[in-house]
Amino acid sequence: MPVRTALSVLAVICLTAAAPVPHQSPSPPGAEEYIIWPPDGAVIHGGKLWVRMGLRGMGICPKGVSFPNSGHHHLLVDTDLPPLDQQIPSDRTHLHYGAGETDARVELAPGTHTLQLLLGDENHVPQVPAVYSKKITIYVR
Amino acid sequence: MKKIIALAALAATVWLSAAFAAGTPSPPGAFCYIGYPNEGQTMAAGKPFRVWFGLRNMGVAPKGVNYPNTGHHHLLIDTSLPPFDQEIPSDRNHLHFGAGETETTLVLPPGKHTLQLLMGDYMHMPHDPPVYSKKITIYVK
Repeated sequence: MPVRTALSVLAVICLTAAAPVPHQSPSPPGAEEYIIWPPDGAVIHGGKLWVRMGLRGMGICPKGVSFPNSGHHHLLVDTDLPPLDQQIPSDRTHLHYGAGETDARVELAPGTHTLQLLLGDENHVPQVPAVYSKKITIYVR
Repeated sequence: MKKIIALAALAATVWLSAAFAAGTPSPPGAFCYIGYPNEGQTMAAGKPFRVWFGLRNMGVAPKGVNYPNTGHHHLLIDTSLPPFDQEIPSDRNHLHFGAGETETTLVLPPGKHTLQLLMGDYMHMPHDPPVYSKKITIYVK
């Protein structure tokens, strides 16, 4: 019996170790992330713009703070959605708004760019189901 | 002796609440605005409309969450700004968005109405200096 107990404990440890998936917070039904501004296809002169980040059916909460039905915005620039069960990367194409910002100041080089929003929980991990916006294309002249 | 301690505690509480009555500091350049509706706009009677809460150079955090340079939105309907050294009232003219919401849907009776946003800290107290939007007038017909 103690051997079996030890084995089951070992099995539990192995299973836990084999699953590197971080804890994910649930998102409420109907939650929706969207880009208020700019509109899809907008032409921006100069490349400096405020991106207005919209969230429906949920609230904003800074990183590191656990509050039900909340998260913080991540702006994906010129990139696709990252894996939705992992921490959102933090680099030049994945901008974090961990201080609860809802308007993002961005500066883009001339050319075609894509923007997409993805909500992350207090640990920067997308919710289940993930809350993200449509990907839009803008043109900087 | 016990009485003295109790008095000292009371004095400390009064002093602390007086000290905090000054409000949480707001970051320089913090700017709150109503993204929608627009000033002077006429809305269809009986039809719910969305109100967008805009905030720049500052973040949103739910009530009870003390995080630097954040607050939560309060929508003032048909009323003027309340005293800045007191908790923002919570009634039909002062709607609290303590879950970190950044938009809402309103239905107002026909007539002329005013809307204004006022940020409150984790204790629903306006910041120092207070962060509030322009007061806009809309018409429901």
